[in-house]
Amino acid sequence: MTVDKGNKLARTTLEASVNDKLATDPKLDSGSQKRIGDQLRAMYDELMQQPVPDRFRDLLEQLDKKNGAKEGSQ
Amino acid sequence: MTPEPDPELREALLAAVPSLRAFAISLSGQVDRADDLVQDTLLRALANLHRFEPGTNLNAWLFTILRNLFHSEYRKRRREVEDPDGSYAGRLKVQPDQGSHLDFEDFRSALAKLPSDQREALLLVGASGFSYEEAAHICGCAVGTIKSRVNRARFRLASLLNVEDIEDLGPDSMTRAALQG
Repeated sequence: MTVDKGNKLARTTLEASVNDKLATDPKLDSGSQKRIGDQLRAMYDELMQQPVPDRFRDLLEQLDKKNGAKEGSQ
Repeated sequence: MTPEPDPELREALLAAVPSLRAFAISLSGQVDRADDLVQDTLLRALANLHRFEPGTNLNAWLFTILRNLFHSEYRKRRREVEDPDGSYAGRLKVQPDQGSHLDFEDFRSALAKLPSDQREALLLVGASGFSYEEAAHICGCAVGTIKSRVNRARFRLASLLNVEDIEDLGPDSMTRAALQG
């Protein structure tokens, strides 16, 4: 990749969302790609480790109960 | 059809909550909003259980629902907020001269700056563990589109976070972009 071409690609990227043109996609070197990936997973893992808020457990249990009631068991 | 959440299914839905939350928080940038999204997703899933094909990937199905809810809500909000990206400007302090120091705060800010189609593609493939094919299915687009979005998301993050030496990628324009907010 030449310097000129690189600049052009960078500008294209900064114009952001636009449309999906494969041909204009820049490429990251593998080291940077790995660092971005590691950061992303580390951030995500932290979120995954958070305890499940009670509201979700309660929600699903409520639905279970409702179902049980319909069957006349309560 | 009446939802019939048997204990096994309930466990499966509960087991999916952490990854749904992680996705929703990363996508929306707000925990409260993310939890509402997850709750709406579970309710919608339960109301549409008859549409789920047993044996297929439950998580992918749930992610599809969450993603669609997120986008329909986003479209609604967009009409209310003229410049959604502008809301980040005040908070965002990505200073390239802070060197290579990276923490989650910087990372989250950078992630929030991505166009949402790129952000979701990166989250699905790079963090949630879906294949490009699954991510394409979830987003309702072509596999090549997902690859392209993931690639551009990484590239943009790298420039926002100043991860690499980007001398052949126009550092001046990158710096401006990072500071512009």
